[in-house]
Amino acid sequence: MNNLYIDPDPEQTKRIHDRLKSIFIAIFLGAVLACLISIPFAYATTAVWAPTASERLIKLPGQHLEKAVESDFRKSELATALEETEANSQLKQSTLGDLQKAIEQADGETRVELQHQFLLEKKNYVEMLKENQDLRRKRARIKLRLYERLLGKLSRKKQAGSPQQKHLVSLQENAQARFQSSLSKVDMKLMQSVAMGTSRYSQEYARNMSAIESLVAAVNAHPSNQAPALNGIALSQSDYLRSLISRNEAELALVDQERIILAHMAKLISLDALALSEETQLASQDLDAPSDDVPRSYVVEYFINQ
Amino acid sequence: MKLLFFISLSATLSLFVLASAEAGSLENLERERAILIDTMLSGDLGIKERQARLETTGTRLIDLERMVLRDKSLAGKNTSLVQAAFQNYDLTFLAHASIEQDRSLTDHWLNSVGLSTQTLFNASMGRR
Repeated sequence: MNNLYIDPDPEQTKRIHDRLKSIFIAIFLGAVLACLISIPFAYATTAVWAPTASERLIKLPGQHLEKAVESDFRKSELATALEETEANSQLKQSTLGDLQKAIEQADGETRVELQHQFLLEKKNYVEMLKENQDLRRKRARIKLRLYERLLGKLSRKKQAGSPQQKHLVSLQENAQARFQSSLSKVDMKLMQSVAMGTSRYSQEYARNMSAIESLVAAVNAHPSNQAPALNGIALSQSDYLRSLISRNEAELALVDQERIILAHMAKLISLDALALSEETQLASQDLDAPSDDVPRSYVVEYFINQ
Repeated sequence: MKLLFFISLSATLSLFVLASAEAGSLENLERERAILIDTMLSGDLGIKERQARLETTGTRLIDLERMVLRDKSLAGKNTSLVQAAFQNYDLTFLAHASIEQDRSLTDHWLNSVGLSTQTLFNASMGRR
């Protein structure tokens, strides 16, 4: 058995080791990046935010609706996860910058090692961006659903009531109009009549009404009660909700577009990994070295010296 | 925290009590109107007394009618009482409608229920 033992050449072993390492990295990166788009990430699935389309939100004045939704979002796990991924990707960006500088200064094996490291960090960075996009998409979808539910509630509220109730409301409106038109005439009649005179209710009502009117004017002029406006034109609540819906639709469309950027980045990392793998493989084979081929010699003497 | 909860609860309850107290404006109007019609039709009253009573009740009726028309709790309240009240403005808001049409309360009511001088003259006595 001892005759079969071959003493390993350390240089050859190292070469095989390097080759295997680079192939392994290339396969690993390729596999990970190929699946990148379809893999659900931890944060995107676990981080939650479940706002409710309550009556309170509909009744909020002006742009306070959006502020209330944003404030609710900031308290959620989803916001924490989003902030965390953003901070992590910022850190990763600086790591990538440092690594790139180090690669420029390094050479030989260290350079290859750093390039491997750089590829791994780029892969992690793309993963983080993907995670961040998933969270942003989730936020936009939740907001979109919330605003759509609020809009639905608002329109249901406007169209609420049976035909009988609607008829009653129209009767009441007509009665109100008729009452308002005859109000001054009735007041005149009361003033003319000595026996009737102005009642305590009428006097108190008029006094309270002037107080209410001044308060209503103050409420309307209050800066916190300003109606949302678009290009200087005041928006109704349903218009405002529709503008919020379209803003979130735009956010979703942009995230989709950013997904394409990410896919290209992933593809480039994969190609870089492949190129690095080939480079290391070729270097380990040392093609510039003189060929190991021994010149063939034919032992002619065995044939002619008989 | 508990104290705050109880304060808000009591405030909500008092608001509810106030709201339910205001819900009787239409019933009050109906009662006053019934008294007015009773005064109109009563055979026991003299002309002067009837006139004085009608004027007093008329003033109260104007206030009550205004209270009903300004009562936000009645808006869209689909009950038979509210439906019946708003079906006929001339009969429910008798005082306002009569002044609007420059008629006395009695004339306006009689006219609204279909009893005019002409119809009374045209009427003939008979067995039903």
